[in-house]
Amino acid sequence: MNVRTQDTLINIMLYGVMAAVLLFFYIPIFTLMAFSLQEGRYLTLPFDGISLKWYGELLNSGPALTALRNSTLIAAFATVIATAVGTTAAIVSVRYRFRGKAAFQALTGAPLAFPQLLLGIVLLLWFSVLGRLFGFNTGLVTAIIGHIVYITPFVMVIVAVQVHNFDPQLEDAARDCGASTWEVYRHVTVPLLWPGIFSAAIFAFLLSWGNFYITYSLAGSTRTVPTFIFSGIAVGSSPLYPAIATVVFIPGLILVALAARMRRARA
Amino acid sequence: MEQGVGKSWRDPELLWKALPSVLLQTTCFVAPLVMTFLLTFQRTRDFQLRWTWDLATWTDVFSKPHYWTILGHTLVMALACVAICLVLAFPIAYGLATRFKTLENEIKILVTFAFITDATLKTFGWVLFLDKKGAANYLLTGLGFPPEMVSFLFTDWATLLGMVYNLLPFAIFTLYLSIDSIDRNLIFAAYDAGASKWRAHWEVTLPLCKPGIFAGSVLIFLLGVGVFLEPKVLGGGTSPMSAELIRQTFETRVNWPLGAALTFVLMVVSVFLVLLFSRVLGMRRSGFGA
Amino acid sequence: MIIRGGAIGPPPFCFNGGSKRDMTSAPILDIRDIHKDYGSYQALKGVSLSVRQGEFIALVGPSGCGKTTLLKQIAGFEDATSGTISIDGRDMAGVPAAHRPTSMVFQKLALFPHMTVAENIGFPLKLRKVAQGEIAARVNEMLTLMQLKPIYLDRFPRALSGGEQQRVALARSMISSPKLLLLDEPLSALDVKLKKVLQSELKRLHRSVGVTFVHVTHDLEEAMMLADRICVMRAGHILQLGEPADIYYRPADAFVAGFIGETNLFPVEITSRAKGRVRYSAGSFDDASGELPEALVAEAAQGAALMNVRPELIRRIGPEDKVDCRVTARVTEVFTKGGTVQYRAHTSQGMDLAVEIQGTSRLPMEVGEEVHLGWNKKDIWVLPGGEP
Repeated sequence: MNVRTQDTLINIMLYGVMAAVLLFFYIPIFTLMAFSLQEGRYLTLPFDGISLKWYGELLNSGPALTALRNSTLIAAFATVIATAVGTTAAIVSVRYRFRGKAAFQALTGAPLAFPQLLLGIVLLLWFSVLGRLFGFNTGLVTAIIGHIVYITPFVMVIVAVQVHNFDPQLEDAARDCGASTWEVYRHVTVPLLWPGIFSAAIFAFLLSWGNFYITYSLAGSTRTVPTFIFSGIAVGSSPLYPAIATVVFIPGLILVALAARMRRARA
Repeated sequence: MEQGVGKSWRDPELLWKALPSVLLQTTCFVAPLVMTFLLTFQRTRDFQLRWTWDLATWTDVFSKPHYWTILGHTLVMALACVAICLVLAFPIAYGLATRFKTLENEIKILVTFAFITDATLKTFGWVLFLDKKGAANYLLTGLGFPPEMVSFLFTDWATLLGMVYNLLPFAIFTLYLSIDSIDRNLIFAAYDAGASKWRAHWEVTLPLCKPGIFAGSVLIFLLGVGVFLEPKVLGGGTSPMSAELIRQTFETRVNWPLGAALTFVLMVVSVFLVLLFSRVLGMRRSGFGA
Repeated sequence: MIIRGGAIGPPPFCFNGGSKRDMTSAPILDIRDIHKDYGSYQALKGVSLSVRQGEFIALVGPSGCGKTTLLKQIAGFEDATSGTISIDGRDMAGVPAAHRPTSMVFQKLALFPHMTVAENIGFPLKLRKVAQGEIAARVNEMLTLMQLKPIYLDRFPRALSGGEQQRVALARSMISSPKLLLLDEPLSALDVKLKKVLQSELKRLHRSVGVTFVHVTHDLEEAMMLADRICVMRAGHILQLGEPADIYYRPADAFVAGFIGETNLFPVEITSRAKGRVRYSAGSFDDASGELPEALVAEAAQGAALMNVRPELIRRIGPEDKVDCRVTARVTEVFTKGGTVQYRAHTSQGMDLAVEIQGTSRLPMEVGEEVHLGWNKKDIWVLPGGEP
C-alpha cells in the first residue's frame, strides 16, 4: 500500500470516528430539542403535533422562571469570584517559585479530580455543622460557595496556559518605561492575559450554570434549572422540561463560540 | 528551563495573590474533608448526631459485604468507562492535534459545547432517546426494524453509556493537550530513522503522550467512581453504585457517620488504585489532573 | 537623504549634556562594591565600576558571569544584597525601576504585542501624562532618529521584521530621554548580516544623542567594535576593565586572553626583574636573548607566567630569518577564512598553535609540512600564570 492511500485511509478513519463521536454527543441534545416541540402532554412518539406551546407555558411557569433566575444569579456570583481567585492562583503557580509550591498546586488543583457529588456531600456536612453553630441554613449562598470551590481550579488551569505563554519581561519593560505596579497591571498584564481570563470566565459561568451535583446538595430548598429538571424527570415529565433544556442550550452555544473567537483573535 | 521569579512568603505580592485560593481551598475543601473524617467516629440516634468517639461505624462498614459489593461494582464500571473513553478519545485527540486542520475550530467548539452543557439535561435526553417508546425505537421501526430493539435503558449498559457520554470530553481534552505539545520534529526524526507510520506512532507518539493518557485516565476514573446521576436516571436505580449508596445513607437513613465512612472508603480505595496505576505506568512524578 | 541629514546635524531634541562631553566631572554611573546573592548562590561578588557621561561601555563575559545581573541592578529590577549604585550623583537605593533615569532594551525586545508601534514608542510618555499631541510629535522624532517609516506606526510589532522591531525597541527606550541606556544583548538573536547593520546603527545613535550606553553582550567582536571601554566579567567579578586594544593586547589573565579571541599562551618562567629588563626562560620556544622589555610584562607576573601571542603575530620564517622568538612545528590543519588562512600546528615541544596568515602570503603552508614559525617581541604580552 503506498503512502498516499495509507494517509487517505487514516484520514477517513479519523474523520469517521470524529463524526460518530460528534453524533453521539449530540443525540441527547437533538432529542431534547425535538421533544420540546411536542404539542401533547406526554413525552412519547409519535408527536400529537408540532408547536411552540410549551415555550409559552415556560414563560408562565413560576417555578421554571425562578429556577432560571437562581441559576443565573449563582452562576454570575460564582463566575466573578472564581475568575478572580483562579487567575491570581494561576499567576502564582506559573510565574513564581517559592517554598511549598507543589503543595500550593496540589491544594488549589485538588477539587478538579474530586467527584462532584462527594464534594457536594462533604460541603453539605460542613455547612450543616457550621449552620447549627452559627444559625444559618443551606441556600443560595452556600450553593455559590460550593460552585466557587468546584470552578476555581478550572479557571486556574485555563488561565495558567495563558500565563505560561506570557513573557514576564514585558512587565519589566513596562516598569522600565515608568509604569507603577498598578499601571503595569492595567496596561500590560491584564490586557495580555485577557483572552485567557475571558475564556475562563465563560467556561466558569457555563460550568456553574449547568451544575447539578453541587447545587443539589447545597442549595437547600432553592431550585436551579438542573435540579428543577431532575425533579421533573422523577415526577413524570411534560414537554416543559425539554423546552427549558433547549432554552438553556442557547446562551451556552453563544458563549462557547465567543470564547473560541477570542482565543483565535489572540493568535 | 526553570521559569519563574523566586518569591518568599514574606513578599506581599505572593501573599495577596496566593492567599485567596489557599483560604478558599482550606476552609471549603480541606476542613470539610477533615470534619467528614471526624464524623465517622460518631453515631446517630433518633436522626440526631451524637458525639461519641467510637469505632461503631467502622465495625459496621467492615462487617457488611453489601457495601463492598457495591464498591466493587462501582470500580468495575469506572474502569470500563476509562477504557472505553481512552479508545474513543485517542483518534479524536490525535486528529485534532495533527490532521483536522480545516475544521479544527468548529470541532473544538462542538466538543466544548457538548461538554459544557448540563449533564442532567443530556442524561434526560438519553432517557427520551433510549426509552422503549423513545426516539431510537421510533426511528428504527420507521426504518423497518422490529419494534423495541433498543431496550437496554435501566440496565448497567445504559449507565455505562451515560458515564462514557459525560466523561469522554475530559479524555479528549487531556489527550489533545499532550499530543499537541509533542514536538513534530520528533516524529519526523522517527520517519527519518526509517520508522513506518505505525511504528513512529507506537514508538514516539504514544510514549510521549503517556502523561496525557495518565492524567485523562485518573480524571475519568475519579469522576467515574463518583457518578450518581447516570445510575439513578439511566440505570433506573436497579444496581446502585457507591455514590448512590452514600447519598441514600445521608438522605434517607440520615446516618451521617456511616455516610462519611463510606465516602472515605470510596476515596481511599480510588486513590490507592490511582497510585497503583501510576506505579505501573511509571509516572511517579506527575501529579493529579492539573 | 533628508532622514540622514536630520540625524547628523544638531540633535532634534535635547538630552542633558548631549552636545558636550565632560570627561572630568563626576561619573554618570557609579557602582560601588555591589554584591548580589540568590539564596546561597553569589551572582555578584563585589563589583565596582565607574562610567563617564557619554561613554559607551560593554559588559562582556560567558553566560552566568553576572553581566545581566549587574544590568538588572542598574535598571532597578532587583535590589542588590549590598553596595551602592548612584546615577548622576544620586543614590539609587530604594528607587524603583519606574523612577530611575535609565532605559532598557531587552534581549527579546519585550515589545508589547497588544500595542501598535506608535503606542509602544509613546508608552513611556503616556505614563508620564504627556499630552497626546506632544506624544505624537515625539514619536515622530524618534521614528526619524531610528530611520523607521511612518507607515509602520499603526502596525503591530509582530508584523515587523527583526531589524525593524529592534529599532522600535530602541525608539521606545530613547523617547523618555534617559541618562543611561541599558542594552541587554538585544542583537544576539539576529543573523550576522543584520547584526552588522544594527551595530553601526547603534554606534551612530550613540554618537548623535550623546547618551551613556551600557551594553551587555557575549559577543566580543561586537564589544570591540562598539565600546569605548570593555568590562570583562567572570563568576561575579570584574576581571579587567579597559579600552578594547588594552583588553586585546594586554589581557589581565589567561581567561581574558582566551575569552577575547583565539590566542597562544606559551608557558615561561620569569627569573628576575630589574632595570627595565625582565629575564626569563622559555621552555616551549627559542629566544636566544632570554630577556623581555618590562613594558611587555604584566606587573603581577612572577615566576611561572604565560606569554600571550595572538595568532596573527606569528608568521612563517626561513631557517635563517631573524626573529626574536622561534619554534618549529608540523602543520596539522588548514582553514581558509576569507582573506586570511588559519593553521593549526603542533610544535616539537608538544604544544598546539593557532596561526593566522594573510591569504596572499608568499609562504603558504601545507598540512603535514614541517615549518619554522616566529614572532617578534612587539604586541606580545606576558601575563600571570594559571590555567588558561
